[in-house]
Amino acid sequence: MPLIRKPASPPETPAPDDRNIAEMLIEGSDDERWTAARRTTLLPEALPLLTTALSKERIARVREAIFTALAKMGSSESAAVIIPYLRSDDAAQRTAALDALRAMPGAAAVHLPGLLKDADADVRLLACEIARVLPADDASRLLEELIERELNPNVCAAAIEVLAETGTAASLKVLGQCATRFPEEPFLAFAIKTARDRIGSR
Amino acid sequence: MDDTQQITEDEFKRLADFLYRRTGMVFTETKRYYVERRIIERIVATSSRSFAGYFAYLRSETRNEVEHLINAFTVNETYFYREDHQLACLSSDLLKERVTAKRPGDTIRIWSVPCSTGEEPYSIAIWLLENWKDVDAYDIEIVGSDIDTRVLEAAAEGIFGKRALMRLSPELIERYFHGLDDERWQILEDLRQSVRFSRVNLIETKETRPQGRFDVIFCRNVLIYFDDESRRIAAENLYDNLLPGGFICLGHTESMSRISPLFEVCRYSGAIVYRRPQELRA
Amino acid sequence: MSDYSKKRVLVIDDAALVRTYYRSALEARGFVVEEALNGLEGLEKVLLQAFDLAIVDVNMPQMDGITFLHTLRSKELPISGIPVLVTSTESGMQDMAAARRAGANYYLVKPIKQETLAEYAAIFCGAAR
Ligand SMILES: C[S@@+](CC[C@H](N)C(=O)[O-])C[C@H]1O[C@@H](n2cnc3c(N)ncnc32)[C@H](O)[C@@H]1O
Repeated sequence: MPLIRKPASPPETPAPDDRNIAEMLIEGSDDERWTAARRTTLLPEALPLLTTALSKERIARVREAIFTALAKMGSSESAAVIIPYLRSDDAAQRTAALDALRAMPGAAAVHLPGLLKDADADVRLLACEIARVLPADDASRLLEELIERELNPNVCAAAIEVLAETGTAASLKVLGQCATRFPEEPFLAFAIKTARDRIGSR
Repeated sequence: MDDTQQITEDEFKRLADFLYRRTGMVFTETKRYYVERRIIERIVATSSRSFAGYFAYLRSETRNEVEHLINAFTVNETYFYREDHQLACLSSDLLKERVTAKRPGDTIRIWSVPCSTGEEPYSIAIWLLENWKDVDAYDIEIVGSDIDTRVLEAAAEGIFGKRALMRLSPELIERYFHGLDDERWQILEDLRQSVRFSRVNLIETKETRPQGRFDVIFCRNVLIYFDDESRRIAAENLYDNLLPGGFICLGHTESMSRISPLFEVCRYSGAIVYRRPQELRA
Repeated sequence: MSDYSKKRVLVIDDAALVRTYYRSALEARGFVVEEALNGLEGLEKVLLQAFDLAIVDVNMPQMDGITFLHTLRSKELPISGIPVLVTSTESGMQDMAAARRAGANYYLVKPIKQETLAEYAAIFCGAAR
């Protein structure tokens, strides 16, 4: 019966030498850069190191690890390193940056009001999804303010999508006004009606 | 709110959209009545005054309310041969794939994390002894880990009641357990000795790393309850705990699409499993 | 009027309101609709089920639409060649060019009207026959 052997002690994956982390993060192989990125937060100069590494890194998996390290730091400064990647021409980079910001809600929240006023509509649109991870009241207030001044229908739609989840009766008025501003956009009319139904009036 | 009240269709959809986004679980209209009753139970249990109040509480993820709600409408018990289609996939596909690069006598490592009170790692052991023709050709090492030392103690003891054994045939119970009394059975000593248990927090890299690398990891019904930061860290830990080309199986209501892009999606005999990519080296 | 009752469309978009809007447009014309929230869930769906068309957004969590399309086209599956309609809010040349390089059959700029979506779905499902 004992076909399954009594286990031997597991082969440990070798842990890298802490002194080499900085060097490995920039110059190592794919695996070394990944491992280094995962350990960088232990170092005092982690932020500038990760900033440089991110600007050079081309491998998606290693970029993920760098973003995770920045999310773990969870500071307004580490969020600021991620934000420029929301403007990337590469959709995969925008996605990775947005996912990282969502994993650090407190730090991302600091930048959110600015992002929702960004000159680039695509950035405002992505920023709406950051609001989703904030406490509902903060998210709704920021999104209602955005909708009141927003001229781009797609940005409004992104904000309405999140408001359908976070909104309260107080959001209904802004939603109603938005509908009258885009009479030519059937999708917005539909989104607004659905969001209002979801939020309800109770 | 009391439990005679109802929630509206729009409220149901609002909650269903939230859970779908967060966990990947789909709540269709056909299940509405059943799910609705469970939601109302949770509204009452959390002393929420209204659906809106409850929904805000759920979203804030205070006191693991997402987990409580999901537990309210899923069978949350762990028992032997639970999700046996995944065990079938393990013996018919995943191990076949893993041994292509191994030689007889090599080690195959399987990790059940979280293993709770041990039903899962012991099920894997029994299933392989019963259903994998090459079981004698390799050294199979099974490790069960959990964050909770109390469940680990129970797992190592290996004593189970009727309900835990309900999916096992009398022959299997006869073969792998001995009865302690009318209500309790203990896993045979040999089998207990062949599964190693260890305490591991999935989001602590210094605890996951010493477990080494595995061919297959079963990580069921835990990742989906983590927040976004913990999901990322746990996924990276699991990646490091897999050999290149190694597989990870989640619970049947879970999807890696809500957790991490690090793994490849694969399909084997109707089951979706995830894989650490092979290294691309010439 | 054509009958699309056997045509299966996979809608991949992270916005619930968008998916609902597309679903009602397509179901009204007899299409069968499945949904996914991002590229990874989309890949899970195409591994388990057959589709005649995928409608895919660009910006989505975990896996964007362009990466989804790359991955789909690089797999050697019967379904790898299905027509894919990419939708995005960006009318920027970069995304459009990336979608084309990744193997998109067509690119629609959001917001999209229900009639437009249904029209293109009909064209691509017809062409797939
Ligand atoms: C619902 S059970 C899942 C057990 C089993 N995999 C199954 O599907 O039946 C959840 C288990 O996760 C464990 N757990 C929770 N957080 C954990 C963590 N951070 N690391 C490891 N285990 C954890 C709990 O102790 C509990 O035993």
